[in-house]
Amino acid sequence: MPIEKSDLLQGTLDMLILKIVTLGPIHGYGISQRLRQISKEVLLVQQGSLYPALHRLEKRGWLAAEWGESENGRQAKFYKLSAKGKQQLKKEESNWNRLAGAVASILQTAQ
Amino acid sequence: MPSWKFLSRARPHDPQFDSELRFHIDRLTEENIAAGMKPEEAWRRAVLEFGGAEQIKEELRDVQRIPILETTMKNFRWALRFVRKTPSFSIVVILTLALGIGANSAVFSAIDEVLLRPLPFPQGDQLIFLHQYNPKVQTPQTRLAPVRLEEWNRMNSTFQGLAGYYTEDGSETSGPLPEKVTEALVTPRFLQVLGVSPALGRDFSPDEEHFGGPHALLISDRFWRRRFGGDPNALGNKLRIDGFSGSIVGIMPASFAFPSPDVDVWASVPTDAPFAQDRGSTWYLTIGRLKPGVTLEQARANLETVQAQLGKQFPQTDAHLTPGIAPLKEATVGGVRSSLWMLFGAVSLLLLIGCTNIVALLLARGAQRQHEISVRLSLGASRFAVVCQLLTESLVLALTGALIGLFVAGEASNVFRGLAKELPRVEEIHLDARIVLYTLLCSVLATLVCGLFPAIRGTRGNLSGALAQASRSQVSSRTPLQWFLVGVQVALAVTLLGGAALLLRSFQALGRVSPGFEASHVLTFHVSGSWGETADMKGLTQRIDHIIETLRNTPGVGAAATSAELPGVPTEFQTELKFVEGPADPRHKIVAESRFVSPGYFSTVQIPQLSGEPCQEPKFIVSPGAPGGVRLEANSVTVLVNHSFADTYLPGSKVIGRHLQVLGNAFLRPEDAGTVRGVVGDAREEGLNRQPGPTVYWCIGAPDPDPYYLVRTATEPMALAETLRKEMHQIEPARSVFDIMPLEAHLNDAFSENRLRTILLSFFAVTAVSLACVGLYGTLSYSVTVRRREVGLRLALGALQGQIVRQFLAQGLVVTFLGCLAGWGLAAAFARVLSGMLYGVSPSDVGTLLSVVLLMLLVAAFAALIPSLRAAHVDPMQVLREE
Repeated sequence: MPIEKSDLLQGTLDMLILKIVTLGPIHGYGISQRLRQISKEVLLVQQGSLYPALHRLEKRGWLAAEWGESENGRQAKFYKLSAKGKQQLKKEESNWNRLAGAVASILQTAQ
Repeated sequence: MPSWKFLSRARPHDPQFDSELRFHIDRLTEENIAAGMKPEEAWRRAVLEFGGAEQIKEELRDVQRIPILETTMKNFRWALRFVRKTPSFSIVVILTLALGIGANSAVFSAIDEVLLRPLPFPQGDQLIFLHQYNPKVQTPQTRLAPVRLEEWNRMNSTFQGLAGYYTEDGSETSGPLPEKVTEALVTPRFLQVLGVSPALGRDFSPDEEHFGGPHALLISDRFWRRRFGGDPNALGNKLRIDGFSGSIVGIMPASFAFPSPDVDVWASVPTDAPFAQDRGSTWYLTIGRLKPGVTLEQARANLETVQAQLGKQFPQTDAHLTPGIAPLKEATVGGVRSSLWMLFGAVSLLLLIGCTNIVALLLARGAQRQHEISVRLSLGASRFAVVCQLLTESLVLALTGALIGLFVAGEASNVFRGLAKELPRVEEIHLDARIVLYTLLCSVLATLVCGLFPAIRGTRGNLSGALAQASRSQVSSRTPLQWFLVGVQVALAVTLLGGAALLLRSFQALGRVSPGFEASHVLTFHVSGSWGETADMKGLTQRIDHIIETLRNTPGVGAAATSAELPGVPTEFQTELKFVEGPADPRHKIVAESRFVSPGYFSTVQIPQLSGEPCQEPKFIVSPGAPGGVRLEANSVTVLVNHSFADTYLPGSKVIGRHLQVLGNAFLRPEDAGTVRGVVGDAREEGLNRQPGPTVYWCIGAPDPDPYYLVRTATEPMALAETLRKEMHQIEPARSVFDIMPLEAHLNDAFSENRLRTILLSFFAVTAVSLACVGLYGTLSYSVTVRRREVGLRLALGALQGQIVRQFLAQGLVVTFLGCLAGWGLAAAFARVLSGMLYGVSPSDVGTLLSVVLLMLLVAAFAALIPSLRAAHVDPMQVLREE
């Protein structure tokens, strides 16, 4: 069953975006494609709603943005991870792993 | 969406949003076309997949918006919630600030009106007070003679004009009953110099300002309303004051209160009258208005040149005189400057203590909220945002405090006005926009002082540590700072208390002095008279003698007398004297206080006669050449001297029978030598706070037309007031009797500034001590709460309750003691500021400071005892179960 955005924790979407951007400069469309592919269509984020999140992360200084030429020769806004963003991602990943581990172990013990 | 959102719209339309979003939609469309859709359909699907572009653009704008307003509003909402959620904490903070800011604003309003604002005249800073200065006499500053005033006015080049005035109390007899009025007698140019015109009618005309011209009067707004019910037809009416009739030509504005708010009537006294030509007379208090751009120094130099010229022209009278000038404002309020600034300093210390207290409370509070703050920070709130929010909380508290403080200030300045009736310009004190502004400033400063530090401190430090610790509080590492603040409060409170104690001690000392006369059971009053009567000294003397005689025969009266001045009320009239017998020694001038009294004075105020005989009223003989046709009979003037005079100037030789001459005084001429008839005890005539100096009593009961009448009564003095008033009305139906007051009340009034600052400083000190105790109590309670677990453990392990109590008590008292030590040093510095206001106690009086410290320790012990006892009653089981 796909997970709608409203079910997706906001912090989680941010973390996913940061993770995808680690691979190199990428525009919004690219991010949404990746999100779909990697999550095997489980995470169905309405594509437009990606942008407020991107702008918020940019404003916090976790993403840096630049206008550049896209693969089909058109101007697009490319996002890449900043040093601060790298740290933040590390923190969120470890938090997430802890949380996920804890939840998983609870679920296992409860079985 | 809230309607205020448009206020903060940073970029109404950003084309970059469009191109970024269009790129995405175009790519989706291309993808759909590649998947085999028709272009139309492909685009429709793409838009659908993307979602509402307009709404997203709005969201993007929200992200980009600079969120000052929203954040501020949000912070305020949170702050209000915080205030509501912690009512007792908030009330303590708000009340502390309200008191501190209120008292501060009240004193500031007095300083603002009395000291800072210019006098209420146009270009008030151009107004100058002038006197003449004669270094040869002990009271060198004197009023001006009419001729000299006119000469200075004519010959100077730096003043727009000079004018003189003096006031006297008269009796207005045009109505059915005589009414006492206060009359200001003014020279030409009086209103022009002040720059004021009548509200109705006109100023004096040149005719009315010259000798022989019509008598004209200006009346005060108050008198106009009282007497004429505010009827404009009052203009042209005639008043009859002390036998002189004049018509009203103008009504002054209600705000005009110069030279004093008591003045009912202004009358012009011609300076060109034949009787005003004596160069030795000292009639006029003098004011002048500088020409624009002229400095005080230029004016002084200019007048000195003028006076030097006059000194050459009239060497006998003018050679020694120099002009003295000072800004009129300085002359009016200079005397209370130090008192007011002292009070302002005290009240600012109080506010500082209040703020310190609040800092301590907020720190404790911050420690309790550590967890909440950590959670907020970990959820991504920036430290700046959290500090802002914490500051907003203090601001809300401070603003509420300031608002209540304004009411406090309003009430306080009423009390202030009541206490400080004698203060110059006190009637001008009121709250206005400047005070409101000042209060706001105070509260913003208070916020920064109180809030910034705890906020920064509260948001600092290791996040995960605080989160992990959660509620498992350890022995708090944060208390040293709070204890330091408690120490500061104690030190400041001791400073104020020390100052107040010194003032109280002086006040007591003043009450304990034995003045050498007996002020109780003496009633004093005036019977109106006018200076015009001095033209007939004999008649005047007979009239006053008759009054004294009548008073003495009134049942209930033990003795009655007149005196030009009241004993014990600070005044001085130092004159230089010379013995007729023997050569004068120019190196040892004889200078003594001269008092003019009727022979009954000594029995009335009970100054004992030590030797010789009582004195007698002088006799007058007909002398056609003299003013009024009479002069004093040679050798008929008698004087008594006090013990100090005899001791200082004639040690070991006989003083009785000697003759004394006055030098350089207009009233007593050298030929009116007085015979010394006896010696009386020393009395503090010139002020209760001054040691009696050499004094000469001239037995002249009618030195002026309106001396003080003093009556010794058998019972409570005021009980006799009505009887005396009736008696006076029978023998003097055309005169009014006024200012009926016990002598003791006059003495109280004379020291009212003293009393004012003593009362206020004591009040501030008590408040400061209470605040310091609240601080101590709060900090210790907090410390007890934080250490509950530790205390519980120790009790469980066998510690005695007494040990726990002792330990907490000691912690509180050690801090208090250290604070007291620091306070002692501060108090010593503060006492130096006070030294000019002290009497009979040294600024470094160890006894006073020691008792202040002991008192502080005692009060602090009580404040510390309650939380300490509570600590000892921690139930170990319960604490351990809580973990």
